[in-house]
Amino acid sequence: MVLKLVGAPVSTCTRRVATVLVEKKVPFEFIPIDMSKGEHKAASFVSNQPFGQVPYIDDDGFILYESRAIGRYLCDKYPDQGAKLVPALNDVKGRALFEQAASNEYQNFDPLAYRACFEMIFKKRRGLTPDPAVFEQLITALAAKLEAYEIILGKQKYLAGDEITLADLFHIPYATTLALAGTDIMSKQGPNVTRWYKELSERPSWVAVKDGVQSMSSY
Amino acid sequence: MVLKLYSAPEARAGHGVVALVLAEKQIPFELVLIDQSAKQHKTPEYLGKQPWGQVPYIDDDGFVLYESRAIARYLAEKYADQGTPLLPPPSDLQKKALFEQAASIEFANFHPLAFKLILEKVVKMMNGQPVDEVAVAGYIAELSSNLKIYDEILGKQKYVAGDELTLADLFHLSYAPSLAPFGIDVMTTAGLNVTRWWNDLLSRSAWVELQAQGIRGTSP
Repeated sequence: MVLKLVGAPVSTCTRRVATVLVEKKVPFEFIPIDMSKGEHKAASFVSNQPFGQVPYIDDDGFILYESRAIGRYLCDKYPDQGAKLVPALNDVKGRALFEQAASNEYQNFDPLAYRACFEMIFKKRRGLTPDPAVFEQLITALAAKLEAYEIILGKQKYLAGDEITLADLFHIPYATTLALAGTDIMSKQGPNVTRWYKELSERPSWVAVKDGVQSMSSY
Repeated sequence: MVLKLYSAPEARAGHGVVALVLAEKQIPFELVLIDQSAKQHKTPEYLGKQPWGQVPYIDDDGFVLYESRAIARYLAEKYADQGTPLLPPPSDLQKKALFEQAASIEFANFHPLAFKLILEKVVKMMNGQPVDEVAVAGYIAELSSNLKIYDEILGKQKYVAGDELTLADLFHLSYAPSLAPFGIDVMTTAGLNVTRWWNDLLSRSAWVELQAQGIRGTSP
């Protein structure tokens, strides 16, 4: 049975998973959830994703949520198909450096990027007033974090080494949403971050899903 | 050459979890003390190894690694066959995926709130600064709400990733153990299953010993 991706078409986390599905050339059926109608809090949804968050997958009866866990599962299940996005299982040091980069993403990038996008974009959608001063503080803090990215990406092509991994791809949804929030920080930090960000934002798998996830039956 | 842990000596935060994994896996190590009050983690030499200026990092015979969860995973994988098993077998795709799901829940739905409570309540109280009790109440409410979902999950399985202990459980020990001593009892009032699980983790002998003695290198 074809894999089902249950999520919202332009949700950052749903698109994060969709990018990996496309990279790994995994056919999937997209089942859209209308969050404005609270469908993610309905009993039928919460029975699969108890936190009421999008997305989750149903892989022939195997339910999995958390977009980064889903991305890793797809790479483990389809190691020889599509792009190679994680180091081999027996490459203990390579995997450690991947985990280090993946940890940087959710510790040093995501919290600030998410809150900046929340302040200027998501608040408006909920009828709240954005605070530009808070946004500026968050961007300043993010710029400080990106200084380390600039150093790392001056020594190697991607965050875990010279090959692209999930750790790079996981950044894309919030990194690109920052532009919509009103900052060009990703293209202003320095030449290395700019080069890396440009490549990620133009990655075909992201381009295929960025304007809205749709079912993909073949590649 | 024996593994070196560059860390503060208190068994808490990310370095506390790394020390716990070293103990659980019976891995010999040398502790290189980093005095954060003296800004030793911000020197050019330190930043050359850990570009964010954060503790800890390890040097495993020349292999340098930082980010406590990455270090924990590396140690658990490298020493899979010794000490307490802390990862599912890599060949079991679904168990591995459920471990990753639990690890992701920890840093997405648990850690940010536990950390904010530490900063707003614990650190400020320790420094004699005024606490924003409204913010604290908000964080407690949100964490409690998430822990009710943990309670449902832990009613069906013993640990967060399944019926076996994994790193995903241990990752929760980086900040939350400091809450109860400062009057925040959310970890034992969210539900019976969470309480059972939390007390189980806190009573692990390796953790108890670390809390009593702090982080100490093993004798050569």
